[in-house]
Amino acid sequence: MTTVNITINGQKITAQAGQTVLQAARAAGVDIPTLCEHPALSAWGGCRMCLVEIAKQATLQPACTFPVSEGMEVWTDSEKVIKTRQFVLELIFSERNHYCMYCQMSGDCELQDLAYRYQLDHWTYNRTYEPRLLDATRKYFVYEPNRCILCRRCVRACSEIAANHTLGLKFRGSNSMIIADHDVPFGESTCVECGTCLQVCPTGALIDTRSAYRYRGKHDVERVNSTCMQCSVGCAISAVTHDNHVIRVEGTWHEGPSGGLLCVAGRFEPLYDARARITSPLVRQDGQLKPAAWEDALKTIAGKLKGGKALGVAVSNTTDEALKAFADLLAKAGGTAGRLEPALPVLDGVKPARVSDVAEADLVIVAGTDPLAHHRVVGYFAKRAFDRGARIVVIDDNENGLNAYAYLVCSTAQAGEAIALAKNAEKPVVIYGPELNDALKKALLSLRDSAAFLGLEPGPNARGAAAAGLAPAAPTPANVVYLLAGEASDDTAAELSAYVDGGFTVVQASRQSPLLDKADIVLPAPIWAEQSGHVTTLEGASAAVRPAVAMPAGVRGEAEVLKALAEML
Amino acid sequence: MGKIRLATDWLDACAGCHMSLLDIDDRILTLLEHVELTATPITDLKHPPEEGVEVGILTGAVSNTHQIEAAKEMRERCQILIAMGDCAVFGGICTMRNFFPKEELLRRGYVETESTDNPEGIIPSEGVGLLTDRAMAVDEVVPVDVYLPGCPPSADAIWFVVTELLAGRKPVLSGEVLKYE
Repeated sequence: MTTVNITINGQKITAQAGQTVLQAARAAGVDIPTLCEHPALSAWGGCRMCLVEIAKQATLQPACTFPVSEGMEVWTDSEKVIKTRQFVLELIFSERNHYCMYCQMSGDCELQDLAYRYQLDHWTYNRTYEPRLLDATRKYFVYEPNRCILCRRCVRACSEIAANHTLGLKFRGSNSMIIADHDVPFGESTCVECGTCLQVCPTGALIDTRSAYRYRGKHDVERVNSTCMQCSVGCAISAVTHDNHVIRVEGTWHEGPSGGLLCVAGRFEPLYDARARITSPLVRQDGQLKPAAWEDALKTIAGKLKGGKALGVAVSNTTDEALKAFADLLAKAGGTAGRLEPALPVLDGVKPARVSDVAEADLVIVAGTDPLAHHRVVGYFAKRAFDRGARIVVIDDNENGLNAYAYLVCSTAQAGEAIALAKNAEKPVVIYGPELNDALKKALLSLRDSAAFLGLEPGPNARGAAAAGLAPAAPTPANVVYLLAGEASDDTAAELSAYVDGGFTVVQASRQSPLLDKADIVLPAPIWAEQSGHVTTLEGASAAVRPAVAMPAGVRGEAEVLKALAEML
Repeated sequence: MGKIRLATDWLDACAGCHMSLLDIDDRILTLLEHVELTATPITDLKHPPEEGVEVGILTGAVSNTHQIEAAKEMRERCQILIAMGDCAVFGGICTMRNFFPKEELLRRGYVETESTDNPEGIIPSEGVGLLTDRAMAVDEVVPVDVYLPGCPPSADAIWFVVTELLAGRKPVLSGEVLKYE
């Protein structure tokens, strides 16, 4: 990398060729305020907060887009620059309804922070009080255009990070409005509620319905870095909490498989699960489940397990540690244990792909899975590849969410066409799922020398389950059936019913569900925000899960309980 | 030197700023060593003294014709005029009405509210201040010398402004005393 010598505020700085003035300044520890700029987005240069004085330039220039050049002299804090920043802030404030006293973002707003920093104590310019209507047609967040500063972070996030391209603009100048698609209500648009725009918005223009007015001050909340447990991608998340409550979930920029992008299943849905928690062991007496002491419940279960012929079935939605303890317990009891979810077909000798490889591919084959259904982030990365000119090839006998982006959609029988295309690609990636028949599997294996393969594991921690020796379980007659259900949805819990045999049934679960009707003993389990341990992502990486909040009284960790039971055998 | 005379008034306001002023608690004893309170909503004198005062504080937005007169009178009779609180400084919450035509607001307030019994739909205009087209910040009507935002500004912020002025300095707000909520 060639170096470029510049001067910032009289200090000689060595910058890199290709850097912007902002990048060079930051690397040298010089702070330049910004609003539209964001570390995960391309530079835009529209808010004008980063204007700096550059020698020989006729006017002030935006540092975030202006490239460094040899001998450049920059002043970031001259009187002219400070006055200009105050002027820019005044103009931004004059455009819309920026009142802090009733805004849910107050205390954590980048616009407010700058106004405090530049000591704005009144407005010079009158406002026009144009009424702008809210859009509250989405479930999880609301668009409040009266607080928008038109920084377009949301538009760039929707295009560059989520690759969804829902957001755009209508009208011009201060009349500009962020719109969805061709100006339809957000709830009727192509918005997928990934929430990336919500997270990057610097002001209160996007309002998270659940967490609005629940602690925004920087010192009011704590952040716990953890891993999303809703699918096998295992995105890096930051759980934002206050007083043992999860306020919201954020993606961690540049971390984990997705680099900060999340989806509706990880950011919002878990916080809206309204099913009651199970907070004490329950034992069935006279047909009814009644609260019982842990010691009594465990003693009864241990006794039953000692009787032999036990079958354990786990939903792969918990930690490696819990799944291992489950397998060990059933082994010690002389029973069999497995997992609920089907296995991915084994593809010998293929090169594993990372999620990020999908975005860099020039050809993406999707076979036996619908990424946008249950592994949305992988689907979004495929759309990023599409944006870069990659060809998407879908091999599916049913409707696939990526069909609209596909260069070629073919049935399993026509897979040969897809393979031929891949053979001519430079960086092909194959995304595959459980629904591969043998012929298709064989066809895909013919790409083993050129393509990288990413298997979309059906369970959030199916890899952890497999590592613990838990293969997909078939219903078998048993005296004791032990179901490790965790936080399973009612639908998944219903699938577990297929294993119930009429013998003694133990269910270890976090929430009430119809499955409990089949249980003789119920043990409480933690939810994702209370879990501690690791999961194994579909990239094969071990990702740490850290508890954001404490388990409710009466709930114990799954691994701890399973180990205690093993001790009692 | 005699005491500094202070006049205050509340316009289109919730009285929160005056409550916050009273939150200076026992500092009011120190205040009264240096300051004489003339007309204020607390002392309940309706007009600042004709001969004028050194410092005036206006809280609340300017929202009707009476308030325009009150603001002008305060400007005339106060050497230093402070706009205190987000309503006086920016227009504040009062400006929520600016998105609606005046006629609609008056109809809603005097005729349509569920608890109002006004079958003839009379909207009073005799002896009451008439609504301006918009609720305004004080400086949209008269020049202001010192701005103290907040909703309300904290007692500490108010004390800071008062003590700076008593020391002969123009208050410059920053850090804990500069808040917009």
